[in-house]
Amino acid sequence: MKIVRFEQVTCRYDEQTILDTFSLDVEQGERLVILGPSGSGKTTLLRLLAGFVAPHRGTIYIEENAVSRDGRILVPPEQRQIGMVFQDLALWPHMNVEENIGFGLKIKGVGTTERNRRVDTILKLVGLPDFRKKRPSELSGGEQQRVALARALILEPKILLMDEPLSSLDESLSRHLAHEIVHLQEKFGFTLLYVTHRSEEARIVGTRQLEI
Amino acid sequence: MRLFLASIVSILLFIGIVPILAMLIKAFMPDDTIPSLFGSMQTWMLMRHSVILASLVTVSTFLLGIPLGIFLGKTDLPFRRFFIFLFLIPLLVPPYIIAVAWSDLFQMSGLPLHWLSGLPGSLFILVSVYLPLPMLLTMIFLHTVHPHLEEAGRLVATWPLTLWRVTLPLIRPALLLAALLVFLLALGEFSVPMYLRYNVYAVESFTQFSAFYNFEAATAAAIPLVLFAALLTVAENRYLRNRIAIPRHFAQKNEFLRITLGRNRWSVLTGMACLAAIFVAMPIGSLLLQAGGIDSYLRALHVAGDALLRSFFYAFVGASVLTFFGFFTGYLFLKKPFYAARTIDPLLLFLFTLPGTVIGIALITFWNTPSTNIVYATTLIVLFGYLAKYTALTARISLATLAMVPPSMEEAAQMTGAGWFQRMIHIVIPLTRHGILGAWVVASLFILRDISITILLYPPGHDTLPVRIFTLMANGSPQLIASLCIVMIAAVVVPAAVAWGWFHYWGTKR
Repeated sequence: MKIVRFEQVTCRYDEQTILDTFSLDVEQGERLVILGPSGSGKTTLLRLLAGFVAPHRGTIYIEENAVSRDGRILVPPEQRQIGMVFQDLALWPHMNVEENIGFGLKIKGVGTTERNRRVDTILKLVGLPDFRKKRPSELSGGEQQRVALARALILEPKILLMDEPLSSLDESLSRHLAHEIVHLQEKFGFTLLYVTHRSEEARIVGTRQLEI
Repeated sequence: MRLFLASIVSILLFIGIVPILAMLIKAFMPDDTIPSLFGSMQTWMLMRHSVILASLVTVSTFLLGIPLGIFLGKTDLPFRRFFIFLFLIPLLVPPYIIAVAWSDLFQMSGLPLHWLSGLPGSLFILVSVYLPLPMLLTMIFLHTVHPHLEEAGRLVATWPLTLWRVTLPLIRPALLLAALLVFLLALGEFSVPMYLRYNVYAVESFTQFSAFYNFEAATAAAIPLVLFAALLTVAENRYLRNRIAIPRHFAQKNEFLRITLGRNRWSVLTGMACLAAIFVAMPIGSLLLQAGGIDSYLRALHVAGDALLRSFFYAFVGASVLTFFGFFTGYLFLKKPFYAARTIDPLLLFLFTLPGTVIGIALITFWNTPSTNIVYATTLIVLFGYLAKYTALTARISLATLAMVPPSMEEAAQMTGAGWFQRMIHIVIPLTRHGILGAWVVASLFILRDISITILLYPPGHDTLPVRIFTLMANGSPQLIASLCIVMIAAVVVPAAVAWGWFHYWGTKR
């Protein structure tokens, strides 16, 4: 079953065309790795799907529902049930690990007890059970990356977008974390769109590779 | 989000721009006031005086302020923070207080007072008042220059040459903005030229209103100042706006290149101390001497204690409202969720550069009707005046703070399902809280020192300390006036010093 569909999508920034009549189908549960040189539109692709930018032309579908079309965002990002791990990880510095991860649940009105339980579970899953009260600035790069992943996964998204999440880590750590991401994807069953410029990372993570 | 931001902007435009338009329409009604105004030789003489004074103040502050900004912002000069704060003091107090101080100094030292009156005196006082503007903007924008650009220059040239050929050209638009601001603020300043008897145009509209109660003439006299402000704001918007970088790199101290003064640091320090003595220590010292002992201050508090409390109250309420409006306007400037957002920034800058007396006259024109007495006869009209004049300040500070928050912070919250208000409350406001506090402090200091708006708009019995001193100056004893001036300086400088210390503590902690 197709979970994501880009139909003849064109996207421009200022006068520069980033994507031109671009089409793409992504199957449910697939791990699609997007490769390409700088400026080729890899990040733009994720931002279009997340709903941060609208395509100038064309339509984007999630589960057969049009979410953006011809310059208009039909479904805002917060309603698309998509998780995202940003390149800079975007951990909120004024919140500790627990608050960062539990923020989405709090917004959805999940009670404190249930929230704590789910934060505990996800922290164990990403291997950080004792880090609840730490601030992002007190964590190493790898630990921060796991917190960002936990924050995205706790809401059990159908689609997870990852924009070069391991680019700031050294090769051996990023290889290790890439294997962990695959493991988590198999456990949760979400569809993964993963942007990277490292071929080895792409080989570990992807079930399919797309070069743009 | 769009609806909320559009409401904020609509309120601001209604409070600030609509009264100006109403004033313009009223002034151009068929009537012989405007033709007679522009037909009069007196008008052109006053205008010439205004332009000469404003131009000389601009050139002088520029020539002094840029080197000061470089020495205090880019070198390893000792006591930099102390000097920065010292030079800021004349900007923080009502300008006429510096004129009173120098007048006291001349009297006490037996120097002829006519040396201080007229153009030379007004020029000197306004230079000391507005010197911090180019100094501060130079310091701030020096931090926006990428260090690699300077390092590339340093490989082939000395520091002075690198500054001259690389650094300063890169921040030229910001320096021109500083010059523009100084010119317009000096053009609209009425209290110093009035005190030192130099006839300029800004005094004309004020005296037509306050001395002769000739409202038509006051309104007509305000028109050229509106046109001047509009013309220069359009120029700023057209030629400078897109060339001025938002100071994003300000916080990245590690990437900032500092000039080592070496053996020159003591001579520079001596020069800096001399300037600080001339512009700050001598005038304040003369006020302290003139004021005398503790009895004078007790008498001053007895005479104007209520006005002092009211100043603090206005500053607290006004700064809070200004911070609220400024924050969301800054957010609007950054995100530009609709096309009209682009026009708001120049309009607010236009209002900021407009003389306070002109804004006051416009607000009176608009609200002085039987049905709008709830605004005109209450302190609400003073608050409207502050909102119209100073929102540009809080909006620009908020913009600079908001620009330092990576967009991904808000986007990450959006991905977890947070709506716009939730993102504001949980993410954006906590991340920018120090900038918000900074905007509040700046707004409160500007309101505390304000005289031009308050003097025209305050309801009977609701004057502030700067207004009380200004009205007492005509027949109060020099000792009383000097002690009131010291109380005024303390009322502004003490909170400013506390805020200064707190921000330094927070900066080093971070």
